[in-house]
Amino acid sequence: MEVFAYQGLIGLSSAMYLWLVSAGLTIIFGVLGVLNFAHGSLFMLGAYLGYTLYGLAGVPFGLAVLGSMAVVALVGAGVERGLLRPLYGLDPSYQLLLTFGLVLFLDDLAKLVWGGVFRIPPIPGWLQGSVSLFGRPYPFYNLFLIAVGLSVGVGLWWLFDRTWWGRAVRATASDREMAAALGIRTPTVFSSVFMLGSALAALGGALSTPVRPVAPGIGAAMIVQAFIITVIGGLGNLRGAFAGSLLVGVLSSYGTLWFPEFELFFIFAIMAAVLLVRPQGLFAR
Amino acid sequence: MNDLARRWAVAGLLLALVLLPAVASRYVTYLVIHILLLALNAVGFNLLFGQTGLLSFGQAGFYAVGAYTCARILLAWPSLLPGVLGGTAAAALAALLLGSLSVRHTRIYFAMLTLAFGMMIFSLAWKWRAVTGGDDGLVGIPRAPLELFGLVVALPTVERYYYVVLVAAVLAVALMHRVVHSPLGLALRAVRDSEVRAEHVGLNVRRLRLVAFTVAGAYAGLAGSLLPPLENTVTPPIAHWTASAEPVLATLLGGIRHFAGPLVGAFVLVAAKDVIVRFTVHWSLVLGAVVVALVLGFRGGLAGALEALTVRGARVRPVSAAAGEEGR
Amino acid sequence: MRTVWVVLVGVGLLFGASWSAAGPAACALGVPAIKLGVQGVASGPHADYGRQIEMGAQLAVEEINAAGGILGCRLEMRFMDDENRPAVGVRNARFLVTEWGAHFLYGTDSSGVAMALGPVLRELDRIQFFTHAATHRLTEELVAQQKIKQIVRVSAPVYQDAVAAWLFRDRRDVRRWATIGADYEYGYATWAIFREQMRRLRPDVEFVGAAWAPFLTTDFSPHIAAVMATNPDGIIATPWAGEAVTLLRQALLQGVFDRIKVWFQAMGGSVDVLEGISQEVREGRFQGKLYATARYIHNWPNTETNRSFVSRFAKRWNRMPNYSAETTYSAVYITKAAVEKARSLQTDRVIAALQGMRVETPAGLRVFRSEDHQFVYAVPAGKVVWDPRYPIAVLGELKVFDPKDYWRWPPFRPLELSK
Repeated sequence: MEVFAYQGLIGLSSAMYLWLVSAGLTIIFGVLGVLNFAHGSLFMLGAYLGYTLYGLAGVPFGLAVLGSMAVVALVGAGVERGLLRPLYGLDPSYQLLLTFGLVLFLDDLAKLVWGGVFRIPPIPGWLQGSVSLFGRPYPFYNLFLIAVGLSVGVGLWWLFDRTWWGRAVRATASDREMAAALGIRTPTVFSSVFMLGSALAALGGALSTPVRPVAPGIGAAMIVQAFIITVIGGLGNLRGAFAGSLLVGVLSSYGTLWFPEFELFFIFAIMAAVLLVRPQGLFAR
Repeated sequence: MNDLARRWAVAGLLLALVLLPAVASRYVTYLVIHILLLALNAVGFNLLFGQTGLLSFGQAGFYAVGAYTCARILLAWPSLLPGVLGGTAAAALAALLLGSLSVRHTRIYFAMLTLAFGMMIFSLAWKWRAVTGGDDGLVGIPRAPLELFGLVVALPTVERYYYVVLVAAVLAVALMHRVVHSPLGLALRAVRDSEVRAEHVGLNVRRLRLVAFTVAGAYAGLAGSLLPPLENTVTPPIAHWTASAEPVLATLLGGIRHFAGPLVGAFVLVAAKDVIVRFTVHWSLVLGAVVVALVLGFRGGLAGALEALTVRGARVRPVSAAAGEEGR
Repeated sequence: MRTVWVVLVGVGLLFGASWSAAGPAACALGVPAIKLGVQGVASGPHADYGRQIEMGAQLAVEEINAAGGILGCRLEMRFMDDENRPAVGVRNARFLVTEWGAHFLYGTDSSGVAMALGPVLRELDRIQFFTHAATHRLTEELVAQQKIKQIVRVSAPVYQDAVAAWLFRDRRDVRRWATIGADYEYGYATWAIFREQMRRLRPDVEFVGAAWAPFLTTDFSPHIAAVMATNPDGIIATPWAGEAVTLLRQALLQGVFDRIKVWFQAMGGSVDVLEGISQEVREGRFQGKLYATARYIHNWPNTETNRSFVSRFAKRWNRMPNYSAETTYSAVYITKAAVEKARSLQTDRVIAALQGMRVETPAGLRVFRSEDHQFVYAVPAGKVVWDPRYPIAVLGELKVFDPKDYWRWPPFRPLELSK
């Protein structure tokens, strides 16, 4: 029982990275209708920037994370305005292809700027140590991650459900023309949503730097997982993305314990099954 | 360009391809084999994307089914034809099965579904060690002799094997040309341009999509089964989703609206990469920028751009209308 | 359709541009220069290994050229990134031999790439000196069984990791072993040969748990938690390079080193791993429980050959050499010895010259094993310690065992790989 609980808790903290990344991905899809292949590369960019600010320049960890989010949000705004906007109204396949081109570009750009070698800066002092849970030491950093993930969840709920901006976004998502007719500046909504999504990816990336390696290619690995989660949760469904992240994170953790052989296969099989049987997602109302 | 000039051009290209091993180095010949394999894969993919409007991100899965099946056959029975035909048939069968599920969706959902299926095949290649050899893959696959009507042709050199691939590619591309210009091809384009209208004129949309999917899978499988005799090895990365991007990129680069587009794209992609990587390791940076530029400015691809230059726009369709107007 | 003509012209231009002009006059061996094609991983999280291969090869080439070349022939080298992908490695090899004109090939990090290269080397009829790829199948299957004579391995194979069994033979308190394994051939093989040796030396030992992490894992915490649930005394871990650093970092987070007695990091003696964990080692966070080996370590053996190699390498590159640098460096010198003996670049003559070769290298004496073209040499294992004489953590309390004891020897029985 204690083994079970501990393994689940470990999976829970892993799920938080997945949640931060897939939250951004699913928000952008829900409002803009764009499935952003390059979202994983924004995660990677966030990690590199976090590493550069915190690990190289010596900026305090919290500030480094915020700085990384701000820069990546600006990159996101540039991508949305400069590259995606001309494609609205075309077959969505073209947006997928464009963002795939961005994956190739950004991953290689990171290699050019930061080199091919992996980096892991040390964990900030105030986040070191562990607490005893179920008779075993549980890293304080993992608790911190869970706290951040849950706060982001609450924050997003507040933002979308309780603010004027959120209502404007929801209006735009459900009917673009009608929202525009009501005086909502939809291009601004699009840009701000894309920036928010990008910043969330960067948050995940920057938070990963002290415990996970920063290297070219971590974005490509992350995007596939984020695709799986957003599909399982339902494309564009924020609650679904949260539930999907927990499901995938915790299942992978138990998978290591019990059925390591075909873990990858089963996760993709779940994704395919959801697409076939319940394309609106497991957690749609 | 009139029909006569077109024929001369095709004849010239064929002649150049036939003479290639005599005039080019062994490495160039080897590289052209890879161009032909990618061209086969891309031509099949474009039946799905350019003709039918379905973006698949799982072609590497069928490529791998072809390659692994061919490899297993050749290891047990070293004769080229059964290996290649068996690999192609297995890929077509896999495409038929997975396709009957996939064509329920279009657009993003279709792309995601094919990605998932492709990655399921990848994880099988990685983990089903008894059959696939795991991460080390299958090694020591013979370049088995071609046995046809009692005739046995040994294929010790890359140059000889090149002709096998060339014949297979020319036949398959010619066949695809027939398909595209047949009533079936017309029906597929009708499905792409408007699903509703196609249904109203009595076309079975889902079945047509399935046909296109199966044919595309078979072409990927044919390309895949021609690989193990060349390299003597099959390994899991050929099934990964990043490998699925190759026919997509080749087609996009060459132009989805032209029959020759995927062929041109395959050539440019393989040749340009080979040359560029000698000068810089940042090949992906260049390719990524080119893809972005193509999607933004030249959705007709190289073939479309060339035609626009030469024909002065006489017959040029509005490229922004590519792959279905009703999008979004 | 004019595109077709453009294609034709393009073919000519692209390939025409790649043909090189005629070279300078030939040397004693009848070639303008002896060309060495080198490849390794130069991108992704394992990129440092390819870089080290390149640095090792280049240092050897520069030294040999400065001393007059091989039989008066200058060396020329070209490095290519194999991206850790078999298809790319095979294409590189074909390019290097048939287009660039390489006489010998070197390097290759991953076992998958190495296995794919094997048959191609036979077709190209060029010797490749493998300097990192560790799978036993490369030499046992492809050389000893399938007789691909063009394969020669200078680096120690996966056998080396069985040294852990000998290292902990006398630790009566370490009875329960588990692995956090790389989820591919290398991880399975290490676990298999380690258990085989351990059962022989210590029948009382139990193997209690295993968790397998696929290539490019960034989050090992579930694997660590799963293995720790089995209460092991000792853990043998096979993820390497950046993954090893990540794994150790995450193990510290979960307080693993408070609860186990020993941790053996199979290739933890590699320079990039030692650099990555230096701070934790200095702070004593591993509590003296972390042990490792490698295919060569720069602080052993204490010979003039090795000391001088390390100082020249450090001076040239401002880095410590890791094992893939030493093995590639030595491979180039082994080529020199073999070609000077054979007075030829032909495969058969060079292979004949390798028979019975005993050669002094930075890693110590290497002896050619003719059955499988494997160079045999001893590499110590030891504890990861902080030594103020070095800029990074090093292996200390070194123990050297005779490869006779823990390597596999012909005739080879197939290794039973099970998880």
